[in-house]
Amino acid sequence: MSLSRRDFLRLSGWVAGSAAVTACAPAYGRLAQIGAAKQIRSAANETIFRKLGRLTYGPLPNERQEAADHGLAAWIEAQLAPESLDDARAEIRLRPYDALALEADVLADWEQDTVVDQLRRATLLRRLYSHRQLYERMVEFWTDHFNIYVSKGDCWFLKVVDDREVVRAHALGNFRDLLLASAHSPAMLVYLDNQANEKEAPNENYSREVMELHTLGVGSGYTQTDVMQLARCLTGWGVKGHFWRGQFTFDADQHAGGVKKVLGQVVPPGGEAEAEQVLARLALHPATAQHLAAELVERFIVDHPLTAVPDLVAAAAEAFLKSGGEIKSMLQVILLDGLARSDFDLPPKFKRPSDFVSSALRLLQVASDGGPAVQSHLSAMGQGLFDWPTPDGPPDVEEAWASNLLPRWSFAIELAQDELEGSRANLPGLIESEAASSPSDILTALSLLLVGRAPGPGIANTLADGLRQSGADTPEEVTAIMAAGLLASPAFQWR
Amino acid sequence: MSWSAGREQVLECCVHVPEQTNWPGWLPRMAFAPRGKASRGDVLLVVFLRGAADMLNVVVPHGEEAYYQMRPTLAIPRPDDLRAKTTERVIDLDGFFGLHPSMSSLLPAWRAGHLGIVHACGAPDESRSHFRAMELMERGVTDERGPASGWVGRHLASLDTGNASPLRAIGLGEQAPRSLRGRVPVTALKSIADFHLRGDLQATSRMQTILSSLYRDDEALAGVAIETLNVLHTLKKLDPASYVPSGGARYPETDFGMGLKQVAMLIKSGVGLEVAAIDLGGWDTHFSQGGSQGLMSGLMNDLATGLAGLHADLGLAMEAVSIVVMSEFGRRAYENASLGTDHGHGGALLLLSGQVRGGKVHGNWPGMAEGQLFGPGDLAVTTDYRDVLSELCRKRLNNPAVNQVFPDFAPKETNVFKSS
Repeated sequence: MSLSRRDFLRLSGWVAGSAAVTACAPAYGRLAQIGAAKQIRSAANETIFRKLGRLTYGPLPNERQEAADHGLAAWIEAQLAPESLDDARAEIRLRPYDALALEADVLADWEQDTVVDQLRRATLLRRLYSHRQLYERMVEFWTDHFNIYVSKGDCWFLKVVDDREVVRAHALGNFRDLLLASAHSPAMLVYLDNQANEKEAPNENYSREVMELHTLGVGSGYTQTDVMQLARCLTGWGVKGHFWRGQFTFDADQHAGGVKKVLGQVVPPGGEAEAEQVLARLALHPATAQHLAAELVERFIVDHPLTAVPDLVAAAAEAFLKSGGEIKSMLQVILLDGLARSDFDLPPKFKRPSDFVSSALRLLQVASDGGPAVQSHLSAMGQGLFDWPTPDGPPDVEEAWASNLLPRWSFAIELAQDELEGSRANLPGLIESEAASSPSDILTALSLLLVGRAPGPGIANTLADGLRQSGADTPEEVTAIMAAGLLASPAFQWR
Repeated sequence: MSWSAGREQVLECCVHVPEQTNWPGWLPRMAFAPRGKASRGDVLLVVFLRGAADMLNVVVPHGEEAYYQMRPTLAIPRPDDLRAKTTERVIDLDGFFGLHPSMSSLLPAWRAGHLGIVHACGAPDESRSHFRAMELMERGVTDERGPASGWVGRHLASLDTGNASPLRAIGLGEQAPRSLRGRVPVTALKSIADFHLRGDLQATSRMQTILSSLYRDDEALAGVAIETLNVLHTLKKLDPASYVPSGGARYPETDFGMGLKQVAMLIKSGVGLEVAAIDLGGWDTHFSQGGSQGLMSGLMNDLATGLAGLHADLGLAMEAVSIVVMSEFGRRAYENASLGTDHGHGGALLLLSGQVRGGKVHGNWPGMAEGQLFGPGDLAVTTDYRDVLSELCRKRLNNPAVNQVFPDFAPKETNVFKSS
């Protein structure tokens, strides 16, 4: 297949605002893959689409093709080494957002709205445009696991550093390193009040959450005494002010002396090392392995995994412990021994608002700035980025989200009509690339793109009726109605 | 629209649990969180007066000699002060306290026993910072430690009322106030008209037909989708411009008045509203606050006529509605040199409900004489606002898990509300 550069631009649908991107060699080099979108009909494999839906923010035709050609397992292996995947397309889009690279003391002098806006944009843009999809999925996973609310205290700028140096630095690394980095993260210490944890006035907030949410899990056997004892180990862990605003500090004067005992083990006096020693132990505790494995399986496979697939959770936990806390080891079990196997029957998962919005933008190949318009839709759906006040992070089970459909419908209509500010959808161009001209071809093409399968008679008839009532006759109008209907449909609420 | 439903009807409205059957075998149906299940209690409306309202001039301690000494210009003349016009004097309530004359429209509610006041009420925080005090009060916490969610949000999360309405909790305004934040989705509405599908009438009705058909047979989402479409359908018929309130009620032509009117419309239309929050700003009166007339008198007029309109409009439904009016802190007992008041400490809660022990000023009055004031000359706090809100949650909102709403707080009985 040979395509001109102009054809490529039109085909891939990334026209508006992406001139700089398409000009760069690596993106252009993928021309052949994206051209394969035309053949997606024959290559359409719903199972691969659904499985890739767990690993990506919406599987693009070229990603489906790659997985079909080389096997899902190989695709996952490649994603597990994100540093070897070219990511120029995302990086170019992130260039304007200079707050992302700055240190806390500098950011502290910035406008709060600017800093938070840049963090939110960058997060969404990476989900949409990065080739390192599984890595971004894991970044989201740990962002939720170590949730920090940017509207508490100085978290609005401290979270930028936490995002970069804790979550993104360790997303596919070792959990012990990740936990220790999080414990030293000023954003976390402010969010969970450890900077107020002093020897005369201990504050248990962080100590409790680190056991309940970050490591062992609720009901795993630790006691109130353990929480209080770890809180004593953590006294003096805080955040500097003035010139050093936003830096971690250990204040020995505020550290409670004496021997502590956590989970049955004595912690000898050792200042900052006390809590580090306990955290390192918590990181590799069997209860932590079980807790993390269950959370990961819930994110990638099924709601309530301890009931649904207890064996997979147990296997992932075992791999975690055996590897000394390697996050990839756990993922390999869940994704390669589980998800990727051809006989693995994958139950549907309800899309969270961030999944819904990201998959709509990505699958329709929208050129989005990730800015306030799309972010405010996320808020209306209940999942504004970095905007979850409670430390448990936004849940990932159907019953938490399914009651709030109207904002999704509104987003679907706005996007399909190309009226979303800062986001350009070129649906006619996208459809043309699929060589679809009749309404039924258009519906089939959109359905294959958005839900990975041809439309069933129910939705086809419903949309055909809607089309007749509307009197739409241009391809643009037909496409907008079809796209709105599909995005708002029950099928698109699941991945 | 006429409104004559009694309490039962109000409670039953729209508590619709979608029928969900035929779950795929692999999908376990488990309780999401250890939430208490209960039928819903009153509709809660939280009115937040932003900027720290000077409650000493709203509910005036006219029996307190020190009040008149400390406010030579701003004090509201005693009910029997013959030097002042009748319309400029305090309206006596109980021989010691009285209402500012601009609050007079709330007298019918007071006489009906529907207006209760808790004076010298507030938060322990002494920062006198608007930002900090508002944040702590809306989170319902003592200091920056503790949950970052809002107290109303935690109430909603800790009580499963089986209410699937997308309008279970709403914030009137650009975004929902912090008190509503938490695990339960909250809808922010500038007006009822915001709850709609985009597009012209034809396009939206076509889209609703499409949606209804697409979701009708969906085993997981049909219930919620139909509920949402029903709400859309109901709201489409509600037009704030042509709405005629019941009981001869009149709302002020202000944002606040329009907001309250829409709360009344939502309550009456049975769309499942359980909690609403609305703000009224402008109370930071450091400068030329005014006395019987002036800047703050205008705000009070908006507040009182709005609430009185809602009270009259809802009529019998007030038996199942609880309204709380709060502000982040009170203002200095002394007037300042700019004829205003500076940031203080103790304030007051106004409670409007058929279920409040009304016609009474509750709380322990700490006095305003030397030695009785707090800090730089502020009214002391003798009732923590969370004592009152805890009782509200328990008695009026049917929430037994008050310790989840206000964790690490041991509420004292205030006996301000009747039991349900």
